[in-house]
Amino acid sequence: MPMANDLIKIGDYIVIQKQNYRKLHKLNKPNSTIMLGRDSINLTGIACCPYYSIFKMISSGNKKNKEYNLELTDIAVNLKDEIDVKISGNDNRNIVDDGRSQKLTASEIENLKVDAYRASDIVETLITNSSTFHNKTEYSQDKYLKKKEKKYFEYIQILRPNLRIIAEIMYKLDANKIQGIRVDTLSQVISFANVYSEGVHLLYDSGSNGLMAAALLSAIGSGTSGKLVHMHPGNMSQKQALLAMNFEGEHLNRCISVNVYSVLRQFHQGCDTNNTSSEVIENSLKRKNDEVIDHKVKIPRLENDVISEIVPNVDCDSSEQTQPEPKKPKWHFDNIAASELIRDKVDSLVITCKEDPQNIFKELMEFVKPGRPFVIYYPVAEPLQQLYLTLRSYSNVAALRLINNWMRNYQVLPERTHPEVMMNGSSGFLLTGYILK
Amino acid sequence: MSFRNYKDKIDEGDTVILYLSNNLYAIDVRPEIKSKKGDLVENVFQTPFGALKVRNLIGTEYGSKVELSKGWGHVLQPTPELWSLTLPHRTQIIYTPDISMILLQLDLVPGSVVIEAGTGSGSLTHALIRRVRPHGHVFTFDFHEHRANVARKEFEEHGLSDFVTAQHRDVLEEGFGENLKGKADAVFLDLPSPWIGVPHVLDALKAKGGRFCSFSPCIEQVQRTCLALERQGFQELTTMEVLQSELKVTRRTVPVRDLSFLKHKSSESPVEEKPSSETSYVVGAWPTSTPGHTGYLTVATLPPVFARKKTQETEQNNQCADIDPSGNGSAMAVEETG
Ligand SMILES: C[S@@+](CC[C@H](N)C(=O)[O-])C[C@H]1O[C@@H](n2cnc3c(N)ncnc32)[C@H](O)[C@@H]1O
Repeated sequence: MPMANDLIKIGDYIVIQKQNYRKLHKLNKPNSTIMLGRDSINLTGIACCPYYSIFKMISSGNKKNKEYNLELTDIAVNLKDEIDVKISGNDNRNIVDDGRSQKLTASEIENLKVDAYRASDIVETLITNSSTFHNKTEYSQDKYLKKKEKKYFEYIQILRPNLRIIAEIMYKLDANKIQGIRVDTLSQVISFANVYSEGVHLLYDSGSNGLMAAALLSAIGSGTSGKLVHMHPGNMSQKQALLAMNFEGEHLNRCISVNVYSVLRQFHQGCDTNNTSSEVIENSLKRKNDEVIDHKVKIPRLENDVISEIVPNVDCDSSEQTQPEPKKPKWHFDNIAASELIRDKVDSLVITCKEDPQNIFKELMEFVKPGRPFVIYYPVAEPLQQLYLTLRSYSNVAALRLINNWMRNYQVLPERTHPEVMMNGSSGFLLTGYILK
Repeated sequence: MSFRNYKDKIDEGDTVILYLSNNLYAIDVRPEIKSKKGDLVENVFQTPFGALKVRNLIGTEYGSKVELSKGWGHVLQPTPELWSLTLPHRTQIIYTPDISMILLQLDLVPGSVVIEAGTGSGSLTHALIRRVRPHGHVFTFDFHEHRANVARKEFEEHGLSDFVTAQHRDVLEEGFGENLKGKADAVFLDLPSPWIGVPHVLDALKAKGGRFCSFSPCIEQVQRTCLALERQGFQELTTMEVLQSELKVTRRTVPVRDLSFLKHKSSESPVEEKPSSETSYVVGAWPTSTPGHTGYLTVATLPPVFARKKTQETEQNNQCADIDPSGNGSAMAVEETG
C-alpha cells in the first residue's frame, strides 16, 4: 500500500507530464482545470491517486473544443509497441515528398480524431493510407511515429515535484526568470557552500524565484537542525519554487525569509523599522503598493498560512500615535530571529542576485564564520571578475575561484548515439571561496 | 574527526586542509610520527613555502593564518569538495562537478538510503554521506578487499561510521544482499560493466520506486546500460556530460593602436608605429588546457511497482546477449514488495 504522502493531495504542487512536456501546477481544488498546450484538462479524480498514476485523456466536448476529462489507466502504451510495423525500406531512394503520399484528406483525419478510440488507431489508419510509410527506413518510421505520438498521444502522468524536476521545468519555461541557473550549476552551489543538515546557512536571493532557497532547504532536510536565513530585497520573497517543493511545516519553518533592509536594520540598530525619516517610510510604502499587487497574483498562499509573509515596512511603526501597542506581526519576530542567527554567525553564504554582488557580499561576509565557504552566482562573468579582483586584495578571503560549467545531453540509441542537437548554452558563473579570520 | 561537524579549533587527530596560494594539502594532525626506523619523531610537514611543525596546529582556529618558514598559509576544515582535491588516490575518482550532479539527479536529501559501488577512494562517498545524514545511510561496496577495508577505516577515522556501511563484495556477481532488497531510494554505479548490475538495482530499490545513476567513461558502456535499463522497466533515461572550467581573472593592459591619423597628411610617415597608448580590462581568460571528458552520467527513474512496465522477457535483443540473462529479478522485486 502506498503511504499517505505518496498520494496526490489537494493543496499539493504537482507535476503534470505529457510525453516530454512537464508543467508545475498547484492543485487547489478537486476539479481544477489546466491548459496543456491548446488542450484544457479537467483534473477531477486525480486527488488520492498515487503519484506516478497515468491518466487517459478522454475528450469531453464536441468536435472542436479541446476539453478533456481524465480516467485512471493501467499503463501508457507506446505507439511503437501497439503498431506492428511490418515492412520497412533500406534507404530513402524511393521517397518523393510531393505532399500526396497521404491519401486521407485533412477533414477525414479530423473526423478520425474524434471517432477513434485509441491514438494508435488513428496512426494505424494514417499509415495504412500512406503510400510511402512502408518504404521508409526503420529509422524514419521511428521518427514518424514519434512525431505522431506527440500529436495524438493522450495520456498524462502526475509526478511529485522535487528539486531536479522543478529546476528543469523552470529553466525550460523561462531561464531568465531564474537568472539562467542551470541544473549543473545549481547542484554545485549546494556543494561548494557545503550545505547540509546542520548549521545556519545564509542566502541572499533577488532573482531565482525561490529556486535557490528550494535547493538549499532541500539539502538541509526535514527533521534536522539546519536553518536557512533567506534575505531578499522585496516586501515579499519570491517563493514559487520553494512552495512547489511541498515541504512540511516543520521543514519550511526553518527557512526564515526576511527583507534585507529590515533584518540589517534590526541587526545594526536593534529595530527593524525606520521611524526617524518619514521620507524613507513613504518611499517604501509606495514601493510596497506597487509590488504587493503583482506578488498577490503570482504567489499562491498555503492554506495554513505557515509561510505567508506580511510586508515589513507597512508597520513602520505607528510611532507617532500612542495607541495601545498593536500585536506584532510575524515578520517582526522573523527579523529578530534572523538577526540573532546572523549575530552568532553562519556556516555558509550564498548570493544569487540581480544587483551588482559587490556591496551585498561586503555587507554579508561579516556574518560568516572563519573557515566557512561562500558561493556567488551571476548570469554573466564581468561583475564576478570585478569582485574577484576586489576580494583578491582582502586578507580574510581565500581560495577564490571563478568557474563556468558546460553540459550536454545525449541521445542514446543502438547505432544512433550522438549528442542532442540542441544544448543549453548558458549556465552562469560561480565565484567561490572561503572566509578567513 | 574534523569531517563530521564544523568546529572552531584544531584538535589532535583532526585532518586539516592547508591552503597555500592555489595548492591544497591534507594533513593529519599528529604531533609525532613513526620514522623509517620505527621511532617516534617530530611530525614536520614540508611545503614549497618551507616547513610546518604539525604540533603547532593544535589549538589553532580553523580559518586562520599559519606561519611557515618561508611564508604563510591558511588552515581549513575538510569539506567533501576539499577532500576530493586532497585525498590519497587509490583509484580514479569522481570530482565535484560530476558529484554535485549525481547528488541532484539521484534526488538525494537527508534521510535517503543510497547504495554505491565501487567505493574506490571514497571521493563520492564523502559527498553522499553529507547529503543523506543524519537519518539516511550510504551502503558502499567494493570487490577489492583491501580498498573496502581502507575505506571503512577511513570513514571511522573521519567520524562518519554512523552514516555509512562499507562492505567488501562483488555486486555484479552477488547483488547488494538480502537485507537491502527493496530498501534503497537510489543506486549509483561507478564500475566497468554497470549494465550487468541493473537487475540487482531493480531488486534493491524501494517498492515506491527510486533513481539510478551510472558513471561511465565510454559511450559503449552507456549504450549497454541504457538497453539494460529499458529492458528492466526504467523510465526517463537521460545521459549527460558535465564539464567545468576555471577562469583566470586578471587586469590586462592592452596596447591601443591609432590608425585614424593616416587619413591626413602629416610630417612623419613611419612604417612601423609604436602603439599610441594603453587601456585596461578586467578579463576572465579561459584555460588553454582543461578537462575535456570525465565520464557520461546516465540516470533513470524506476517508477513505483504499480506503474512499472511488465518487462518483455520474450524480446531477446541480440545487442544485449551478453547482459545477465537471468532477467527474473524484476518479477521477484514485484512480489517482494508489500
Ligand atoms: C573508479 S573506482 C570508483 C571511484 C569512486 N567513485 C570515487 O569517487 O572514489 C571503481 C571501483 O569499483 C570497484 N569495482 C569494480 N567492479 C566491481 C564489482 N563488480 N563489485 C564491486 N566493486 C567493483 C573497483 O575495485 C574500484 O575500486
